[in-house]
Amino acid sequence: MKRRKTTPSGVVEAPLDPRTQVRAKEEGLPSVNEGRLRTYEPGDNVRRFLGLLSSRITRSLAVSLTACVHCGLCAESCHYFLARPDDPTMTPVWKADQIRKIFKRHVDWTGRVAPWWVKAGGPRDDEDLNRLKNIVFGSCSACRRCTYNCPMGVDTGLLVRFTRGLLTELGIVPEGVFNVSRDQWETGNQMAVTETDYLETLEWMRDEVRTELGTDAIDIPVDRQGADILYTINPREIKFDPRSIAHAAKIFHTAGESWTLPNWGWDQTNFGLFSGDDKLGAYVARNVYEAAERLRTKRIVISECGHGYRSTRWEGYTWAGYDQKLPTESVVVTLKRYLEDGRIAVDRTRNTEPVTFHDSCNIARSGDLVEEPRDVLRRVCTDFREMFPNRRENFCCTGGGGLLSMAEYRPLRLEVAKIKADQLRATGAELVCTMCHNCVDGLNDVIKHYKLPMRVVQVLELVSNALVVPGTNERTKHRL
Amino acid sequence: MAHIEIEGRRIEVNEEGFLAHPEEWTEETARLLAKAEEGLDGLTAEHWAVVKFIRDYYLEKNLAPMVRKMCQATGFPLMKIYDLFPSGPAKGACKVAGLPKPDGCV
Repeated sequence: MKRRKTTPSGVVEAPLDPRTQVRAKEEGLPSVNEGRLRTYEPGDNVRRFLGLLSSRITRSLAVSLTACVHCGLCAESCHYFLARPDDPTMTPVWKADQIRKIFKRHVDWTGRVAPWWVKAGGPRDDEDLNRLKNIVFGSCSACRRCTYNCPMGVDTGLLVRFTRGLLTELGIVPEGVFNVSRDQWETGNQMAVTETDYLETLEWMRDEVRTELGTDAIDIPVDRQGADILYTINPREIKFDPRSIAHAAKIFHTAGESWTLPNWGWDQTNFGLFSGDDKLGAYVARNVYEAAERLRTKRIVISECGHGYRSTRWEGYTWAGYDQKLPTESVVVTLKRYLEDGRIAVDRTRNTEPVTFHDSCNIARSGDLVEEPRDVLRRVCTDFREMFPNRRENFCCTGGGGLLSMAEYRPLRLEVAKIKADQLRATGAELVCTMCHNCVDGLNDVIKHYKLPMRVVQVLELVSNALVVPGTNERTKHRL
Repeated sequence: MAHIEIEGRRIEVNEEGFLAHPEEWTEETARLLAKAEEGLDGLTAEHWAVVKFIRDYYLEKNLAPMVRKMCQATGFPLMKIYDLFPSGPAKGACKVAGLPKPDGCV
């Protein structure tokens, strides 16, 4: 496959493609008409960009904009730079400097007094803004490994998301980001799944699990008032891969859990995290929190999804200005509790292939959930082995930050995925387990591109596989 | 625009390997995409059942069908779709059926 033309700097030159934005305007979508979803309009975008930039700077952003001493430690932490070590534009500091120089030119006094001295400079036209788009969306997976390794506390991930948010206000975004944001605003879920399709798929999975376990006692309840757990999922599970819903249902049933999915507010993913749009972030997260309140559940449980976990568990409460009244946890934490409390029994000899664990950036580095998946894996597999580096220092699957939905940056993404491929290969594992749907697809791309003899699995699948269902001595025959 | 070269043919695709011009899809294109992207040598009647359903659904609704619909229409269990198309319903079956890349986390 031919590579898209790149500048010598490696930054992808992808023009702005507003076709779906034009269509959304022509169709008169409510989110566009009401100004929630912004579309590109030629005109004074530079002035608007600078106005937004000045008005949105917070204390933590100001620190990240001014505290960098250009020590270069971030470079060594970034898989883009490690894979292209001769290319300075791949370093986090260079990417951040493209934002920093605008800040200096237009906000900070140093750049206004002596712009040449501090290398200050602002965007001149929409072309410059588009280039900025290609840097913050195309050359960074927002994995925050550089942030974690910065001795000065500079949060380059935060700067990238902030800049993405400014560009989103102007409609200067990759087409994929616009499309998914549109669907999430319009339908409440990122894949535009209808209510009928949602309910039918759940019924289908219920029937599959009933067949597998040979009992009609199993249910996948929707909108059950007063259940203990509100289970929220990724629309990908409904649309393309509902096996994980069946796994969860099987385990919840065996553990005797009182659970329900909501009829509305079931999408725990949140493109506001990727696009930098706090309003979208607030809308989607609030849907989930309100579902829990409406159904009076005691806990919110999030299926295996990295950015959904970070958005719903951590960031969403701030975006939505919502008081956290209920504990919110990943389903992996729920599984760990079942195992520790003896609510489910497992036979680890059913998972004998060597398995390694890939920490999702949004779960480990940004979500502080590190040991729990390991505790579960050690109980359900016979050969669990770490990859290196791991935990909070793990490398991104390369599909993070919404990059999976931006086809134009894929060649660069797969080129720098060499780092991830080497890391995976060195484990010698046959299975790589991750608790993030986005990482599943990101890792699958890496495995296919670098021809690795591995398969991606998730924690629910391995637990479901090892689950000993009372009344059946052997592994169930009909497996999902 | 990227492209795949296979059996002397040149197929324009996007960076994800999805057909660049979905309207130009033919059964021959499907066969070549299946070989290049899914490593499948030849498509069986079962493959065609899935592919044709997806194609017709897309032409009618301008949308990729849910995997539920694929199974309903063909009568296959869920795992059969994964057996037929190693990359799964979205990146495998929809790609062979010449659809543009579905939006979202896929």
